[in-house]
Amino acid sequence: MTSTLIIQGLRVEVAGKEVLKGFDLSMKSGEVHVIMGPNGSGKSTLAHAMSGRPGYKVLGGSVLLDGVELLNLSPTERARHGLFLAMQHPMEVPGVRPLDLLVAAGADPAHLRERMSAEAERVELRTDVLDRFVNVDLSGGERKRAEMVQLGILRPKFAMLDEIDSGLDVDALGAVARRLSSATTEWNCGVLAITHFRRLLQELTPTVIHVMSEGRVVATGGPELSEVLERDGYEPFRQAKSSII
Amino acid sequence: MKTFAESALSFISDRPDAQDRQRAWSAFEEAGLPTTSDEVWRYAPLKDLVIDSFNVSSAPATQENSPFASQLCERAGLVVRVVDGFCVDSGSAPSGVHVEVVENAISVSGASMQSRYESDTFAVLNNALAPATTVIKIDDGIDVERPIIVLNSTSGSSSFSSTQIKLGRSSSATVVEYFEGGADALVVPLSEYEIGDNASLQLITYQRLSSSAWHVARTTGFLHRDARLRQAVIGMGGHYNRSRNDAEMLGVGAENELRTTFLGSGGQVHDFRTHQFHKSARSRSTLLSKGAVADESRSVYTGLIEIEKGAKRTDARQTNHNLLLSAHAHADSVPNLDIRENDVMCAHASSVGPLNELQRWYLESRGVTRSDAERLMIQGFFYEMLTTLPHELAELVENDVAAALALVKVVAP
Repeated sequence: MTSTLIIQGLRVEVAGKEVLKGFDLSMKSGEVHVIMGPNGSGKSTLAHAMSGRPGYKVLGGSVLLDGVELLNLSPTERARHGLFLAMQHPMEVPGVRPLDLLVAAGADPAHLRERMSAEAERVELRTDVLDRFVNVDLSGGERKRAEMVQLGILRPKFAMLDEIDSGLDVDALGAVARRLSSATTEWNCGVLAITHFRRLLQELTPTVIHVMSEGRVVATGGPELSEVLERDGYEPFRQAKSSII
Repeated sequence: MKTFAESALSFISDRPDAQDRQRAWSAFEEAGLPTTSDEVWRYAPLKDLVIDSFNVSSAPATQENSPFASQLCERAGLVVRVVDGFCVDSGSAPSGVHVEVVENAISVSGASMQSRYESDTFAVLNNALAPATTVIKIDDGIDVERPIIVLNSTSGSSSFSSTQIKLGRSSSATVVEYFEGGADALVVPLSEYEIGDNASLQLITYQRLSSSAWHVARTTGFLHRDARLRQAVIGMGGHYNRSRNDAEMLGVGAENELRTTFLGSGGQVHDFRTHQFHKSARSRSTLLSKGAVADESRSVYTGLIEIEKGAKRTDARQTNHNLLLSAHAHADSVPNLDIRENDVMCAHASSVGPLNELQRWYLESRGVTRSDAERLMIQGFFYEMLTTLPHELAELVENDVAAALALVKVVAP
């Protein structure tokens, strides 16, 4: 079954400042969309607002997942409708074990520990980490791999990855990117990856690239867009945007 | 119906060391019960304490193990059973471990019990009324492989148990002191731990008394050179649950890690007091106190770090976090420092508030419901306390804690 995620005119305020100023994006199951943009362009705000992070105030717009308005739902219900966020800095939750988290999140408890181990091996995460408390005392790279374990168990319709490549070495990045690629075929997962580095794209082939600046998409194109970015940087896109205005 | 004093005096007169006990009893009578005008008793619901509703038992009542206690015992290398303060079964100790029941024991500190505890009313009462002291001794160099369980149950209307655990040089052991029963009873345990040079004691005090019990407990660790005491105190039961947990770092390089936690519900009062006393150089203490109060319950945490002149390069840390789970619950936190040496590292932090919103959101963003997220996080308080327990024991206690938590209404204010 094909699912759709449609974001229209999304406006979000954080700490009294409008950061997203009418963001649009549409995607389908199995596609890989990459959002690139300089620091401060609103990339992370998009991911957090979509997941209903406290303190992120939606001023307008719509996020439809298979026709259901996510913005009216609680963070829990958004996740249960099939939206997953892998965070840039996944939070430590002392005293809570990954397995208990996943069961509470609705994962099938049958052979869960074995399935988690298999997922951990796919992203080269030491399996003893699975018995520790969620993200506690894990390195940045381990946390991101641990998010991939959750992704593999929860099998969301759409996975958003906020700066998944930051803090990862080349090997880890490769492992994470390969896991995401196979998710697109294994259960037709749609991947929305946020990054400001190009190197992720060497491992994860995008269907579409969106360039973001000052809270909205200023250019959309195929993989070739990343070469333009590599050559010219973000500046021409910013100028393009201001010339439109 | 006898008054408490009549039953106490009749108990005392039958004991071989009646004279010493009589002295302790007189000291208790002279001091009288504390009042809330005493700073250290300010938070206790003393108006609910009717001493004549309790009686001192002259013999232990027969007591069946609860299902949980039975499961604990299955995982133990040695089970010592104490009923209503009487050691009724000293188990079969493995090689290098000895269990003795001692009348008129002296304090591990070297002083007599009465002079050691003269300023503490309930400890004095314990000195007068504990049937005997159960002493568990571990020989030098012995690593006790399987956990030792001290099963403490109260079926009468009062219980005064006295326990000493003594680890010889370079020995190690895991001990669980478990408390259950105690409906409408006064439960006053007194424990001392001596950890010899380079020895290591992993200790869990798990209090699962009835919510109608009065529980006034005191423990003291005495740590010699390079000794390690890792103690976790988990308090669930009690109308009033008072737990004083002290450690004296007597030897150079001694190390104490204390974790205390509680869950308050209904109209409970949890009163935790700690004193980490650094008497020697390069000693370390790490204290983490975490608790949650629901319904109309309240809690107080009072912790003192004391550093003696000359205890150079001491490292002492104290952290207290309290969670409010209802708008009618209340928590107080009173950390104190008394430092008489300059060359030390000392830190303390405390907080009172609701659950961490971002941690909760993180769980919710995975699809966990809000109520499950809150329950997982609170459960996590207790699970954190159990991290150093052997796996099979930790799992058992975790399941028991989870079952108790499932009965508590959690409302984030």
